[in-house]
Amino acid sequence: MSVIDRPSAVTAQQLAAAGSTRRRRGSRLKIWIGAVCTLLVVLPILLANVLPLPAANSQDLSQRRLAPLTDGHLLGTDQLGRDLLSLILHGGQVSLLVGVLAVSVSGVIGIVLGSMAGFYGGKIDAFISRVLEAQLSLPLLMMLLLVVALFGPSLPVITFVIAIAQWPEVARLTRSLVLVEREKPYVSAARVLGLPRLQVLIRHVIPNIFKQASLVVLLLLAQAVLLESALSYLGAGPQRPFSTWGRIISDGQDYITTSWWLVTFPGLFIVILVVGVNLLGDGLRDRARRRKGAKS
Amino acid sequence: MAPYILRRLGQSLLTVFLTVSTVFVLVRLAPGDPAVAYAGPLATTEQLDTVRTQFGLDLPLWQQYAVFLRQLFQGDLGTSFSFQSPALQVVLERLPYTITLAVSAILLTTVVSVPLGVWMARRADTARELSANVVTIAGQSMPEFWTGTMLLTLFAVLVPILPASGFSTWGGLVLPTITIAIMQIALISRMVRREIVMNLQAPYLTVARSRGVKESGLTWRYAMGGASIPVLTALGTRFASMLNGVVVVEVVFAWPGVGSLVVRALETRDYPLIVATVLVTSVLSVLVQLLVDLCYPLLDPRVRLGKVATS
Repeated sequence: MSVIDRPSAVTAQQLAAAGSTRRRRGSRLKIWIGAVCTLLVVLPILLANVLPLPAANSQDLSQRRLAPLTDGHLLGTDQLGRDLLSLILHGGQVSLLVGVLAVSVSGVIGIVLGSMAGFYGGKIDAFISRVLEAQLSLPLLMMLLLVVALFGPSLPVITFVIAIAQWPEVARLTRSLVLVEREKPYVSAARVLGLPRLQVLIRHVIPNIFKQASLVVLLLLAQAVLLESALSYLGAGPQRPFSTWGRIISDGQDYITTSWWLVTFPGLFIVILVVGVNLLGDGLRDRARRRKGAKS
Repeated sequence: MAPYILRRLGQSLLTVFLTVSTVFVLVRLAPGDPAVAYAGPLATTEQLDTVRTQFGLDLPLWQQYAVFLRQLFQGDLGTSFSFQSPALQVVLERLPYTITLAVSAILLTTVVSVPLGVWMARRADTARELSANVVTIAGQSMPEFWTGTMLLTLFAVLVPILPASGFSTWGGLVLPTITIAIMQIALISRMVRREIVMNLQAPYLTVARSRGVKESGLTWRYAMGGASIPVLTALGTRFASMLNGVVVVEVVFAWPGVGSLVVRALETRDYPLIVATVLVTSVLSVLVQLLVDLCYPLLDPRVRLGKVATS
């Protein structure tokens, strides 16, 4: 069925070389498609204030639920007569901001705790690992909803909540990277020179693993955007200054029989952005893994 | 084997305890006076005091916690504000619906994702596999509430062959199941692919191949054998998290399960009901994970002999 069944004159080396060429092409393709998709969504969002769009919050009840491409409304209007494209782009600014902030916070917490667990080992490691495991087995979305319900759906609360949901992943990765790094000769050398452990960790170990650890950031960003949209779909998302994508979709759902664009377009923005970021992250990770494999 | 089971049991209990405590702390930390929430904004100071004494809110925090724990052990989770009946009972009535949905979704996921993952692993790095790979990335990038709404529009509104919401007939199960499965299939099949590829490169496989084991045997018996524990763990974790509420999907399809219940409880600030939901579902998902872990010794003799510290 597969190539390996039949005996052939191809050597293992040739096979491996062909495989690595294909892999290289594959990851390059992923990176390119990913970058294009990401920019397709991120650029308009960043330029939303400059682009000639109708104001996002200007309601015009005489222009309710206009179909796309009517009266200068590229994607139509919503149930309150607001321009859908403008609404999506401004909401996207909030979603992106939340995503980027949340990933930065979870990245810092994750790297600090993960590298401490990996580097010091012993009781510190045991404690951090337990907390990590416990959190991974908690009912995540319910806890997030509970926190948002209790503390209100403000931007800082939502950002914090998403960051808390994501730090275990960063911590786990960092811990495993540090565990490998710690055994390398330069760490012993630094210790022999009499450098304090904390200094070795911060000045030497973390910079060496940082590049690998930071690749996970893109995948986390994709997750954060999805999580934020789910929260806002359930009514626990940020509401000011603009409603975000999940909220636009849940508002538009009531008109699904007559106005398909209200749900379709905001969803497409989420999908294209998240697919792009995921592909980019995946491709970059493949490439990093291959380079590392080639070196050793 | 016995120490392994005991240790896992202890960990599960600890997790449940942590969840319970977290919920308690969160509810107490929240701004706003629960007495006001209960008695209403027009209550007099005397009425508020009565409410505080009635619910033990005037006690020091640690005593409140003790009371909370004691009631918990007696199965008393308070009375739901909005349903006016015991919160635990309200949750348990909704639970079968969520379990039905979760079971059907995990079955569909397993049936599709394992063969798909193996297929991708055996054709790793070919053009066809690359496109399958991109499709699975797309699958895990679609928010469930959007996929659900789109499926709903297609198959319940435009081509009305399936019921749009609720659980009046078994047909109502189809769309929510597919919606959940799309994302899960994407996640699990990628994971199966990764594990199989890793095992196909392992030295023990070369040995088996040189002994003349058939290619299908190599994949399904040998590589799958090595991959079975991580794959089972992943499936178990996904199943457990579905029990925690396929919250979003239940809301899209107005499924009468725990997920839509918790969203309603949050909207009405029905704290006893929220706490009860979080507790019941987390106990359930911890149980599922425990069961999965207890399967390890069946799959991996090293665990049976206590040689591997499973983490």
